[in-house]
Amino acid sequence: MGIKWVNVFLILALITPGLAMGQAGKGSPKLPMVLMPNSSPLVSFRFLFNTGSALDPKGKEGVAALTAAMLSSGGSRSRSYEQILQTMYPMATQFGSQVDKHMTVFAGTTHTDNLESYYKIVSDMLLDPGWREDDFARLKEDSINFLKVSLRGSNDEELGKEVLYNLIYENHPYGHHNVGTIASLEKLTLDDVKKFYRDNYTQENFVLGLAGGYSKEFEAKVKADFASRLPAGKASTISLPEPGKISGLEMTIIEKNTPGTAISFGFPIPVTRSHADWPALLVVESYFGQHRNSNSYLYKRLRQIRGLNYGDYAYIEYFPRGMFQFAPDPNLARQQQIFQVWIRPVEPKNGLFSLRTALYELRKLVEQGISKEDFEATRQFLTKYVNVLTKTQDAQLGYALDSRFYGIPAFTDYVRERLAKLTVEDVNRAIKKYLQADNVQIVVITKDAEAFRRAALAGSPSPISYTAPPPKEILDEDKIIESYKLVFNSKEVEIVPVDKVFEN
Amino acid sequence: MRSLISIFVLLALTLPVMAQGGNKIFPYKYSIDDLPNGLRLITVPTDYPNLVSLYIVVQTGSRNEVEAGKSGFAHLFEHLMFRGTDKYSAEAYNEIFKNAGADTNAYTSDDRTVYHATFSKEDLDRIMMVEADRFQNLKVPEELFKTETRAVLGEYNKNATNPVNKLFEVLRDTAYQSHTYKHTTMGFLRDVENMPNQYDYSLEFFRRYYRPEYTTIIITGDVKRDDALAMTKKYWSGWTRGEYKPQIPKEAEQAKELTAHVDWPSPTLPWVAVAYKGPAYSDEQKDMPSMDLISNLGFSQNSELYQRLVIKEQKVDVLFASFEDHVDPYLLTVMARVKDPKDINYVRQEIIKTFDSFKTTKVSKEKLEAVKSNLKYTFALAMDNSQAIASTLAPYVSLRRTPETINKLFDIYASITPEDIQQMAGKYFVEKQRTVVTLSNKEKL
Repeated sequence: MGIKWVNVFLILALITPGLAMGQAGKGSPKLPMVLMPNSSPLVSFRFLFNTGSALDPKGKEGVAALTAAMLSSGGSRSRSYEQILQTMYPMATQFGSQVDKHMTVFAGTTHTDNLESYYKIVSDMLLDPGWREDDFARLKEDSINFLKVSLRGSNDEELGKEVLYNLIYENHPYGHHNVGTIASLEKLTLDDVKKFYRDNYTQENFVLGLAGGYSKEFEAKVKADFASRLPAGKASTISLPEPGKISGLEMTIIEKNTPGTAISFGFPIPVTRSHADWPALLVVESYFGQHRNSNSYLYKRLRQIRGLNYGDYAYIEYFPRGMFQFAPDPNLARQQQIFQVWIRPVEPKNGLFSLRTALYELRKLVEQGISKEDFEATRQFLTKYVNVLTKTQDAQLGYALDSRFYGIPAFTDYVRERLAKLTVEDVNRAIKKYLQADNVQIVVITKDAEAFRRAALAGSPSPISYTAPPPKEILDEDKIIESYKLVFNSKEVEIVPVDKVFEN
Repeated sequence: MRSLISIFVLLALTLPVMAQGGNKIFPYKYSIDDLPNGLRLITVPTDYPNLVSLYIVVQTGSRNEVEAGKSGFAHLFEHLMFRGTDKYSAEAYNEIFKNAGADTNAYTSDDRTVYHATFSKEDLDRIMMVEADRFQNLKVPEELFKTETRAVLGEYNKNATNPVNKLFEVLRDTAYQSHTYKHTTMGFLRDVENMPNQYDYSLEFFRRYYRPEYTTIIITGDVKRDDALAMTKKYWSGWTRGEYKPQIPKEAEQAKELTAHVDWPSPTLPWVAVAYKGPAYSDEQKDMPSMDLISNLGFSQNSELYQRLVIKEQKVDVLFASFEDHVDPYLLTVMARVKDPKDINYVRQEIIKTFDSFKTTKVSKEKLEAVKSNLKYTFALAMDNSQAIASTLAPYVSLRRTPETINKLFDIYASITPEDIQQMAGKYFVEKQRTVVTLSNKEKL
């Protein structure tokens, strides 16, 4: 027993004081609910508020996340946070929050033995917060340290991904990390948090998610509580601008004393889960870069054949903390998404070659599409894999809340039904329509940033260095890749010291 | 509407996760079948429909890396196992898993290597077939071996950005002199860099440890024992038993407190690690279960120290104890991330004082019962699907090859008294069995 080492990293990753998500309400019926009663001895809660960091007022970036943290990691009026931890400890339960652009979710699972006492604690945390100054000071400092220490200092991969989002969504409500910026966090006050709570934690924004072995009476009690104790308020709506246009290859190189070179790149796509072409892009994502799966095409080309790194993946939806988990967390639904490629750290001497390989493969994908066989195999995989994604009742609940956000039927049915109707032509049309390799935002984290910049802009060949040369056809392809032309927009290639990232 | 109903039906079939009132903590019925070659099959049918989880547990980890210069090899070997056989190339192997919609991977720790997959039940036979093939007939050409060693270096490099990994590496290197727990599962960087030159050793490693007597197959989920056994006999009977038994060096008793410091190259908050040599896993003696209880009593979120350092004084933002079950005596470690470098010594002292307090003051029965309750519910809450059940079993199976060890362990937890805690604290928390490692960066954050 005891904490497993793998969990230590998860603890560090999650030390951001809270996790959640949200969306704009649209005059839905009173107290919307997703209910999944069953005979399990566990009960899972997902209290969802359709608000999030996209609603952070200008200059108050991070207030949505800090508000959620105050609720899930601070005291209620009747209990201090110490008392909450003391009471929850024998039940081995927790109450976490997750904040994304439009969703803020509070989640926890308890054994039915402890259902009443657990619910009493967490409902008070949400509906009757303590707003203590010492909780606020601790959680604000945790938030700043999350950006400074956990992201800048301990996790180059997540750092690269988050900076990529910030760059793609510059001057856009998505353009700051969910936790905020260091400058804004330093200025946030407890009154800012209370105001955000008053404005956003309303019945209009609320969806109740409940799954497990609870009784009808319990369900009625929860409904009555939230209907009477949560103010009616109004829905938090936001209309998003289009993200800025990317012209050529734009690149930010983050300079940091680190042994590897981490790379992420991407660009916006006008497709979310509610879009008719989403199932087609789901196939593309899975074929080209299924998360943490050795069947990913990119994984095969970069890691399996060339031994460049530990893994290479592609995404069509926001997927934080991917280095710690195999399946995405639900309730990160967004109105806008990007297509993203994640190249895990490579040896610096192969950095530019790795970037070239990934862009070369992306171009090939766009030009050639995928074969009928690959399409069939990927469709088959996904049709079964959706069961794995939704194997716990908590995941089923989370996916159901997301389906409600996107206005689609139940997730597993939706995916299976849409995949069954899909053709390889649909997929290849979607590739041509939404993907490209010319206008791409790139983030590189490396020790010698100037050398990387110079080599990238010079356009000269960047041959790979092998310990064991692969077969001739790969060496031949390497020759093409090492000189693959990268057309940078040189005005948009910059070096940023790591201690400037997330500053403003 | 139809979709919601199907979810309801699916969930209505789930099993009670926890045994009630005096029943065993591991609530599922299971069967154990041994093949004549020494391979063991543990089948755990559950009522979670459609999916099965297959966990293949090899009782070999970085503890088995007895020769100098070979640290990290068990983990490298885990990678090599995905490189194919004469019959099924890596590509063909992957295709079968893709076809099954499988969530598949593997991991290595000090004492074990675990290969796991979760997939649709109708694919179990095919997957057992290809798994049996690679465990018996793995064939990795030298070039592919070398390529894979670079993926392992990539893994080292991605881990190396996190100071906790370095802290952990130095802690073990400092605390152990001769036992193989001296190195981490990832291995020393110098050994990882030298891996491309170790092809012959990789063949030897396979001959030694990838043998039926080291291996247990766990199948959980929508499966019947008779079917699982028939597949196991069909595909795994031809596997030949080996003879090799490693001589793991015994660690001599530590003579004095050991310390080390890591100068981290980039800005970070400082870390303090305080570790004591603890006991090995046991489901018979009270030593190791007592240490589990103490690590919770002293350092979990409801402990006096956590509440003081993290919530009241706010001098620390991360504090936890770690005491993973091990075949041989292992370290009970407490780690803290300190917000201000000037508090490093204070935090170190407070951690040591907390350990010492268990020697002088008897814990209250109430606090002890809260920890026992926490362990019980943590265990129950973890097993909410077939994969989680197999994944929970794997470490125990690598230690004792039976789920029964979990029931025995929890019976010992239940029997431990405040007097036991005090006695065990006196036995283990002595200065000369302590190792302290700190990590910091000179620059201001």
